[in-house]
Amino acid sequence: MDRDRLKIFLNGVTLVAVFLVLFAFSRYGTDYQVRILNNMAIFITLAVSYNLVNGYCGILHLGPNAFVAIGAYTSALLTMTPAEKQMNFIIQPIVWPLNVIEVPFVLSLLAAGLTATLFAFLISFPVFRVRGDYLAIVTLGFGEVVRVLCNALQNVTNGPLGLKGLSPCTNLWWTWGVAVLSMVVISRLIHSSYGRALKAIREDETAARAMGVDPFQHLLLAFLISAFFSGVAGGLLAHLITTISPTLFTFLLTFNLLIMIVVGGLGSTTGAVIGAMLFAWGGEALRIVEKPMDLGFVIIPGIPGMRMVIFSLLLMLVILFARRGIMGRSELNWEVILTRLDRLRRP
Amino acid sequence: MDDFFKLDGITVQFGGLVAVHRFSLHLEEGERVGLIGPNGAGKTTVFNIVSGFLAPGSGKVYWKGNDITGRPVHEITRLGIARTFQNIRLFPDMTVLENVMVSFHHKLRSHFWQAMFGLPSYRREESLLKSEAMTYLEELGLSHLSAERAGSLPYGQQRRLEIARALAIRPGLLLLDEPVAGMNPSESLETAQLILDLQRKYPLTVFLIEHDMKFVMQLCERIKVLDYGHTIAEGTPAEIQQDPLVLKAYLGGACVC
Amino acid sequence: MTSTIFLQQLINGVSLGSLYALVAIGYTMVYGILRLINFAHGDLLMVAAYTAIYGIAVFTLPWYVSFPLAVLFTGLTGILLDRAAYKPLRSAPRISLLISAIGASFLLENLALVVIGGVPKAFPRPEPFDRVVDLFGLRIQVLTIYTPIVTLVLLLALLYIVHRTKVGKAMRAASRDFETTRLMGINVDRIISVTFLLGSVLAAAGGIMWAMKYPQVNPFMGVFPGLKAFIAAVLGGIGNIMGAVIGGFLLGLGEILIVAAVPELAQFRDAFAFVLLVLVLLFRPTGIMGEPFTDKT
Repeated sequence: MDRDRLKIFLNGVTLVAVFLVLFAFSRYGTDYQVRILNNMAIFITLAVSYNLVNGYCGILHLGPNAFVAIGAYTSALLTMTPAEKQMNFIIQPIVWPLNVIEVPFVLSLLAAGLTATLFAFLISFPVFRVRGDYLAIVTLGFGEVVRVLCNALQNVTNGPLGLKGLSPCTNLWWTWGVAVLSMVVISRLIHSSYGRALKAIREDETAARAMGVDPFQHLLLAFLISAFFSGVAGGLLAHLITTISPTLFTFLLTFNLLIMIVVGGLGSTTGAVIGAMLFAWGGEALRIVEKPMDLGFVIIPGIPGMRMVIFSLLLMLVILFARRGIMGRSELNWEVILTRLDRLRRP
Repeated sequence: MDDFFKLDGITVQFGGLVAVHRFSLHLEEGERVGLIGPNGAGKTTVFNIVSGFLAPGSGKVYWKGNDITGRPVHEITRLGIARTFQNIRLFPDMTVLENVMVSFHHKLRSHFWQAMFGLPSYRREESLLKSEAMTYLEELGLSHLSAERAGSLPYGQQRRLEIARALAIRPGLLLLDEPVAGMNPSESLETAQLILDLQRKYPLTVFLIEHDMKFVMQLCERIKVLDYGHTIAEGTPAEIQQDPLVLKAYLGGACVC
Repeated sequence: MTSTIFLQQLINGVSLGSLYALVAIGYTMVYGILRLINFAHGDLLMVAAYTAIYGIAVFTLPWYVSFPLAVLFTGLTGILLDRAAYKPLRSAPRISLLISAIGASFLLENLALVVIGGVPKAFPRPEPFDRVVDLFGLRIQVLTIYTPIVTLVLLLALLYIVHRTKVGKAMRAASRDFETTRLMGINVDRIISVTFLLGSVLAAAGGIMWAMKYPQVNPFMGVFPGLKAFIAAVLGGIGNIMGAVIGGFLLGLGEILIVAAVPELAQFRDAFAFVLLVLVLLFRPTGIMGEPFTDKT
């Protein structure tokens, strides 16, 4: 069909455009701009995969910070050289076999995703025994348990000191490559029969069961895929900021992801992407409220914490007054755009 | 002996309350059997036992000779027992077509990764499912609404969509929980005709709950009457209409007809 | 463990447990009516602690004026919280309500951070609570003994309200069946406000005692006590006041005694409650005092 070919063509054009923009920034962009673009891509990966669980399955999972933490630590521990590890672990030496292993970055990312997936699988049984608020608090609990473990397991994570001096392997190509992959793969899944089954569970779990859908199996599938991409994103994050410690992966991280997907629209992948981009940009833009401001005649002192006040207010305002967020549950893709254009042409 | 479907001495208790007491039922392939009784008699509880939403305290459920007591709901559905709900339970935010396609999901051959990477094998299967779903929608006169939100349909069409969705399971046994509740006489007549038509086209056994006596008497070949969880009568519509116990149960309680 | 140390730890456990119990009651009451985990409930501890500090340090009020004022202020904050964050969402999907609760919690914490600052403030422990007494040959802070007593008094008052007054009757009705209660012509919103008021007052009492026990007050001091109190409520059977109390005591005693028995576990103390939560949900989701679920389709 012509329409399908046109869509493939337009997708190709979009990819080339993204490539050119990234190329331009990697060549001529400032460090600051590149950092924001990297953050943006990592947030997109995280938000899209978080939205797969929260938006499409209709459950409130509050522990993605655990997946990101596990991914970050796994990949960091795998890429550090044995010598670097020895320098980092000053209080307690690192356990075997981590003290001798060193693998290439790409393998460490894969391992990050798989370890997070394995963890998700292990906690899935207690998590999906319950629903609603209970599920929320249980997943929040697992997030906290992982944080406590990161602090306590000195000989694996180096405790509160964290890991320093990771090689800065992450660049625009990695972050955006993973972001595009997660977007494509997850939106394909959502538009497939599996996605329909997930939405059916969200709309009415009882009816979905009566139509032959096994809720546990499908929620687990979404949960594991989400964990995989969150883990990979954690690995990217670790090698972007090159220093990680347990304080990076608190509930605050989950809260930020929640803002992104709620503002973008729970249950819309494009919404999650938009939410993540706005957050990455807005988070930087709002830094001015925490810095002293010189208006020439008077200097307004910066207010630390003001950003979080604004973010929490934003979340509440969206939930209270614009519950559908920017995109609601609809998507912005070529099909939608072309249909709109057709309608414009034939009034 | 391989029975088509059998309930054997089902008893259900909620706390101290006996909801269903030693209920037995035998269905022959292709039959239409009705279950009636005053409100709170335990009819929906029986449906929930058959479809697996409840496990009976005692008693057994047999499907084509196999004991399926206590099996999970989705497994029972996959074996070919589909149901509708008393208070319509569609997937309101999904399209009419998608609602029907959910019923095909359990027999999907492609794995999730084939769907994730959009492989041709998956795409072929998807378009096949789509056209199959359309045939069921046509069957119930809903094909022109396939792209509508299910929640935006008027009541009567929502009931029909629920039947289409259950039919897409390709069930051997179809459970209808008050299929004509809230319909006017001509609509119920249409529904009765529809059920007969469907039975002509598909190998379908129908077991239904209904308060509309006229509908039940016209449609069902056999009727069972429940009162306070006990079976008080069983027989052809003509026999039930004459039964003194039934008259007492209905006239003694709130009149439903 | 010698018997004196055991006794000492037992008293500490009862004291901590009674704090959890006070906070857990608020969770359980709100959950009973709205089926909502009021995430911001824990932050009311912080609100109470700060107001009490301000009363004493800034307005130089004596503690017996400042504390009740702080309790009252926190109670009103609780009502305001419901009005602003939950009431507009009564008919919204549950997930929205929960997200609003999380937002409200972060808002309270960060407002405190902006207004007061992140540096922990020392809580001025009034003289009557600062004494140390001899009990069975143990030297014990009076606060440790006062805490369970205050809890008991407040609990009895609450039980009186819930079981002997008209408002209490309406509250119990609303937690049984929200819609029917509304149809009976009872002003459900007023009942919810009263519920929030009572829950917040208890949380405020808990917050002030918590701040006297651990006299470092910061904007995030309520997070962990809040989460643990919620777990105590689940443990006891959510929606059940006596269950919340029992759950609170069990959790408090458990935390103290396990760490006392195996000191190496101290660093995992914050994870203990969550593990307990998972076990309860796996094996007895209705908690100790909860009624079994009825599966209705």
